[in-house]
Amino acid sequence: MDMKRDYYEDVRIFTSGAVIFWTGILFLLLAIFPFVAKNYYVYVVNYMAINVIVVVGLNILVGFTGQISMGHAGFFAIGAYGTIVLMTHASFPFLLALPCAGLIAAFIGFLLGLPALRLEGPYLAIATLGFGITATQIIGKIKMFGERQGLHAPELAIGGWHIETDKDFYFLLIPITIALVIIARNIIKTRVGRAFISIRDADIAASTVGVNLTFYKTLAFAVSAFYAAVGGGLYAFVLRFIEPELFSMFMSVTFLTMVVVGGLGSIMGSVAGACLLGFLDIQLRNILEIPYFGDWIRMLSESYFTLTGASNIQLIIFGLILIVIMLFEPLGIFGMWIRSKKYWLAWPF
Amino acid sequence: MIEFLQMVLSGIAVGSSYALMGLGMVLIYKASEVPNFVQGEMALLPVFIAFMMLTSYNIPYYIAFPATLIFAFLLGCFLEFGILRRAKEPNVLGLIIITIGMEMMLLGFVSWKFGADQRAMPFPISSYDSIIIGDIFISTLDMLTLVVALVIMLSMFLFFRFSKMGVAMKATQMNENAAALMGIKTKQIRMVAWGISSAVGSVAGLLMAPILVEPYMMWDPMLKGFSGAVVGGMTSLPGAVFGAYIVGIVEHLFGGYVSLEFKSVVAFVIIVIVLCIKPSGLFARHYVKKV
Amino acid sequence: MKKYLAYILTVMTIVVFGLALNVSAEEGITDTEIHVGQWGPQTGPAAPWGAVARGTDAYFKMINAEGGIHGRKIIHHYFDDAYNPAKTKAGVKQLQEDIGMFAWVSGVGTAPGLAVKDYLMDKKILWVGPSAGSRHWLEPPNKYLFNTYPLYLGDAELLTKYAVEKQGLKKVAVVYQNDDYGKQGLEGCQHELKKQGLELAIGLAVNVADVDMKPHIMKLKKSKAEAVLLFVGPGHVARLQGTGKAMKFEPQWMTSTTSGDHPLMMYITKGLYAGTISSAFGLMDPKVGTIQDFKNPTLPAMVKFYNDGYKKFAAKEERWGSTFAAGMGYVEPLVEALKRCGRDVTREKVVAELEKIQNFKSSMGNVSYKPFDANDPLCRIGQQEVFLLRAEPDGTSTVLTDWYKTEYIPSSH
Repeated sequence: MDMKRDYYEDVRIFTSGAVIFWTGILFLLLAIFPFVAKNYYVYVVNYMAINVIVVVGLNILVGFTGQISMGHAGFFAIGAYGTIVLMTHASFPFLLALPCAGLIAAFIGFLLGLPALRLEGPYLAIATLGFGITATQIIGKIKMFGERQGLHAPELAIGGWHIETDKDFYFLLIPITIALVIIARNIIKTRVGRAFISIRDADIAASTVGVNLTFYKTLAFAVSAFYAAVGGGLYAFVLRFIEPELFSMFMSVTFLTMVVVGGLGSIMGSVAGACLLGFLDIQLRNILEIPYFGDWIRMLSESYFTLTGASNIQLIIFGLILIVIMLFEPLGIFGMWIRSKKYWLAWPF
Repeated sequence: MIEFLQMVLSGIAVGSSYALMGLGMVLIYKASEVPNFVQGEMALLPVFIAFMMLTSYNIPYYIAFPATLIFAFLLGCFLEFGILRRAKEPNVLGLIIITIGMEMMLLGFVSWKFGADQRAMPFPISSYDSIIIGDIFISTLDMLTLVVALVIMLSMFLFFRFSKMGVAMKATQMNENAAALMGIKTKQIRMVAWGISSAVGSVAGLLMAPILVEPYMMWDPMLKGFSGAVVGGMTSLPGAVFGAYIVGIVEHLFGGYVSLEFKSVVAFVIIVIVLCIKPSGLFARHYVKKV
Repeated sequence: MKKYLAYILTVMTIVVFGLALNVSAEEGITDTEIHVGQWGPQTGPAAPWGAVARGTDAYFKMINAEGGIHGRKIIHHYFDDAYNPAKTKAGVKQLQEDIGMFAWVSGVGTAPGLAVKDYLMDKKILWVGPSAGSRHWLEPPNKYLFNTYPLYLGDAELLTKYAVEKQGLKKVAVVYQNDDYGKQGLEGCQHELKKQGLELAIGLAVNVADVDMKPHIMKLKKSKAEAVLLFVGPGHVARLQGTGKAMKFEPQWMTSTTSGDHPLMMYITKGLYAGTISSAFGLMDPKVGTIQDFKNPTLPAMVKFYNDGYKKFAAKEERWGSTFAAGMGYVEPLVEALKRCGRDVTREKVVAELEKIQNFKSSMGNVSYKPFDANDPLCRIGQQEVFLLRAEPDGTSTVLTDWYKTEYIPSSH
């Protein structure tokens, strides 16, 4: 059923009628969601959508090209600062400032990709991690970027449409997210994507068949930096205030976690990973409010731990979820999906 | 000149604790091929256990510290045996995420058990005394760290050279299948490597603890140890030590002469420069991939 | 028939009661309850500051145990944001939109606060006592945002003034945390030195993640600083003083209120903190020359909070520290305004009552507000006074100065 018989079948967006049907349902749900859900959940979905953008882009680098990055918070920061500064100092409109910031980040990503050409594994991990930390340090020294005091986001308006509430922002953000996810999928399905995958699977073999390693490795960095920066530019308007400390190493690590937990080398997996972990990240603070479980944790804290530190159960649960998913399914959520699909397709055998 | 010497000496002092963390990371990288992000927290929990033994139960140092190291060893063994080994068909990134998960759990556990406040750790020697040679200062705690680091390095060298276990470990790291065929229990070897790594990291933790104990204290040393290990080549124990000292010294010289603010990121710049020249670090033999 | 009558009466009471609830209309307030929200990091590197929220909680519980405010109990909702503004915003939105808060109080941190400031101000929701001395709260002033935390600038001004005028120390250096808080310390010190006709000996930045303080001490030593202002967190103060001692560099250390918890500081520095001068904005009786013991408070409000709030309602491992106690100080003006309002409470009325507050003796100094004026940042500053303490070896503090009104310096950009 999943066999591709010609090139067209491989590249087309909708592989079957069922996919069209479910995609239609999804779009419909996304369209009516802000009208039925509480405003708070619209905010949460916005937050998740931003993670989706970054994680899909990071997956192009990590999952498809096989290059690790632990510094994407740096690109995220460049996007956030770039967008705001282009809007306030160069009076660019938002829809121009956002891709411009993305292109700036892509250029920096290209530069970072150059030394990364020679590195792999832990060497690349620590070098990119260093980039993430250094980027925020440098931003914190630039006067135009508000140094350490931070920057306020300007008013957001597109044409005559003033974007103020979470619901307005949702209607700006979700189309961008969907477009970027589809673009990512198309990149992967074309010549460029196949070059990425061949580099991941065997870079020397790839170069012998004519894949330009320098070009494609740096391109992967540039593309994923672009995605991260677009996510960052949008994030600036979710918070409306940014400062360098926000874009910490923890953020980079979280992005990487989302990619791996979602499933390396799967666009839909990245979407799922970003949504799941993004949701947990923002929602776990309420863990002590869960009936029975919360009381039990409090009781436990009182007898064996500290009540003042009981909130740290969040970290434990988050870590546990990461470990459990990765222990049982190296391909993360995507792997689980594949497995259950196989099971049901073959059922009852 | 005095200033320069002082900076180098301070760099060596701080490099010693980076070196211990780096040694731990290299041990694990050689055994399980994963950059171990739980290295810091593997030392943090034992430090807090030591703190609890010393303050709540008034156990004397000569019992508490060895007990802590044994606990650390068992903790390391458990993390490998109980969690990491259970991973099905793991890939490197999956393993990294598992270590990050373990890191969060241990950190959460420590903060839950002990709260977030800073604490002062009782210690046999004061961290405020120093030895003065001419105009150069070195604190007794730094001196102790340096000595302990050297002793550990030496004993590790002896361990890998002369003990049966050490040789078996080296064999496993060179070629696991061949080692298994020779009758070496490779799984057990890997577990012990984690245990040793955890104990070595905890020594570093215990030597940092007299200055201040707080849940997030091990992040910076862990990263710097990692950096040092990468500079040295990630697969070479002497390389990790050498790399850690380079990081420590360059950090101090850079902080002293160029910019204090960027001191904490200069380590990463060193890495990029070193790796651009030698992509597998200074001490590792360059690994040639075959098609 | 009688049976049915009982049913009908019950239903009617419920309906009438329900209507009455709707009639009172103001969000977050009913006949018996006032809902108040707060955020504070309980996890993450900033978790030590989470004690503020727990202090406020104990204070409100103490008020409720005494019958509440005009018969209304304060329902306090606080959540953990881990000092992550995205989470702060999520939590504030959820509580505000699901339950409806009458007011928000305190809330640790500049960045988390700024992420929600516009949201709260647009909705005209009252916010009293942000737990950070930032100029962002005042520039521009907001009608519904009432500051109670004296600016960090003022701490630096008074400390510098004291070092120069009273102690005759001419070489003053600043070690500052690389953020809004630390930069204010640097600015305040430079401002005061300029007035005295002096130059800053050296200003050194510390990043939050830095652990190794030797380079800082070497630079301080080289600058021959006689007094060093530490605008960093308690952990860094301990590290700097320890490293300084080991390198035989012992200037007059001075710290801001942030590291002004003397018993804690004495404990984590193993006694090195003795002799350090710190600024304070209350929680003690500033009678010059007297010795104050934080553990045995003398200020009536503090004694009461210690006995009826802390001892009864705090978790058993909670430390009685200034962070915890400050949880009361930040919200006292709100409680006072609610008391003055009487039974009939709306946000507008509370704002009007807050604006009438003049020289209100809270446990954190004398609070005054002025009627709202969009061009006057001082109309919402609350209080600008600080005083100085010297740490004594036994964990007590000697009061060095009386309340000193600090100068407001508008930010330059």
